[in-house]
Amino acid sequence: MSALDLTLRGQATAIAAGEVDAAELLEEALERIAARNPAVNAVVETFPERSRQMLAEAPPGPLHGVPVVIKDEWPLPWRAQRFGAAQMFAKTAPEESGPYRALRDAGATIVGVGNMHELGASSTGNLSVYGPARNPWNTERCPGGSSSGPAAAVAARLVAGAVGADGIGSVRFPAAYCGLTGLKPTFGRAAMGGHHMAGVSTTIVSGPLCADAADCRLLGSVLFGESLKAGDAAGLRIGVVRDTVSEDVAPAVREACAEAIEALRAETGGEVREIELADLEAAALATVLIANTEAMAGLSPSRLNRLDPELSPIARGFAKYRMLLPAAATVKAQEVRALMRRRLASVFEDVDAIAWPTVPAVAPPLEAPLVELPSGTLTADQANVRGAGLANLTGIPAISVPVGLAEDLPVALQLQAAWGRDELLLDAAEALERANGRRWVESLAPPERQPETTGA
Amino acid sequence: MEASNRADDFIPAGLASLGIEADEVDLAVMGAAHAMFWPPILELLELDTDGVDAEPAPDLSRAP
Repeated sequence: MSALDLTLRGQATAIAAGEVDAAELLEEALERIAARNPAVNAVVETFPERSRQMLAEAPPGPLHGVPVVIKDEWPLPWRAQRFGAAQMFAKTAPEESGPYRALRDAGATIVGVGNMHELGASSTGNLSVYGPARNPWNTERCPGGSSSGPAAAVAARLVAGAVGADGIGSVRFPAAYCGLTGLKPTFGRAAMGGHHMAGVSTTIVSGPLCADAADCRLLGSVLFGESLKAGDAAGLRIGVVRDTVSEDVAPAVREACAEAIEALRAETGGEVREIELADLEAAALATVLIANTEAMAGLSPSRLNRLDPELSPIARGFAKYRMLLPAAATVKAQEVRALMRRRLASVFEDVDAIAWPTVPAVAPPLEAPLVELPSGTLTADQANVRGAGLANLTGIPAISVPVGLAEDLPVALQLQAAWGRDELLLDAAEALERANGRRWVESLAPPERQPETTGA
Repeated sequence: MEASNRADDFIPAGLASLGIEADEVDLAVMGAAHAMFWPPILELLELDTDGVDAEPAPDLSRAP
């Protein structure tokens, strides 16, 4: 087995013990990207000399010598982010972003930039100036967005860890579609410096995408700048809601998530409690309104009349539509934010985590990202935002954990906890892994199914 | 007057008032966005939030 197939922590441990040569690992990662990436389009740029220089100058640290991928949302000293688009509405320049500094200071080697959905505007990942990333489980399916490339890179085992960003589910959606664990940290807890919206966004955070929770703990600790200590989630009180987010769900997804919740309860010796959390659809819309209003920074009518023709028709039309959103709706969205934050504070007095499916259906086709739900056919974006927006709206942490397969594609459960309890989510995810014998975190699209050997 | 979610009057008028140019493709995309977003926006505007004051400069890293 190649060292690239080790976990992130396994690679770090092996390098520290002198069992793996970091320089050889870097070259192997570059070779694997060259071999496998054409089929998945996860990595949009490599810079071997920069990577070798990073490794040569790498300090001792928890990720010393470990190759990672970073999303095209974060600037690097030698490369401005492109945000998956031909044109951005904010000014950008090469610089040291917070995640870059965190990775560098931890000794990691950035081996490539991960693809992403154009302007971060979808849960699917099926649109990008670089062409869409593809899901390693099935290259005709969406990898999830907007952190499509980081997820596809880990699922294709190009690297064992990648840094994404989550403004409305953009770490959790691709984690779910690609069978990974993805953490959306508590707002403000993870490195955010250098993001082109850092000064205006109240929803976006950086976050890790890895094969399992222990790797997310390691990469998350680097992004947080503090150790995310392990606990045991004993006696976990799991809240479930009887609402669209848990009920308007494809039957196979619903069944797998219900089994996972029961397994988590049993493993932690905890309990499942039904909770009331009204107005979740209003919360999802409030998140969309706030995020889209914040994304208008830099837009003006004259600028909109000079859009880059290479920007997709969807991005062009939607950028213009944003200008017509009523201010009263954004004010109302802020009221909904306050309302949901108070309700969550109350709910989290009774439960430790809230559980529902990360996404209501498995990854849809790239060419037609529609999902079939009990209520009918919806676009994946319409369906996915229902369960994801709450964490971004209110600032709470959330994690997506693989819990099964349906149609030979991953199914995922989302857990959400109170502000600052990111560690508990990692503990709960690890408990869930124990409960199912690590069956799903080790069912990463396996090497024998990787594109280079399937001819996909 | 009944609220309208039709795009054929709202969008061209809104764009014209802002001086934003749009071609047929832009208008088609905007029409689709409008059909998706406008009905729930109208519902949101009617949501009873009496007594709920928005948090001034909320610290989203903490409970309210």
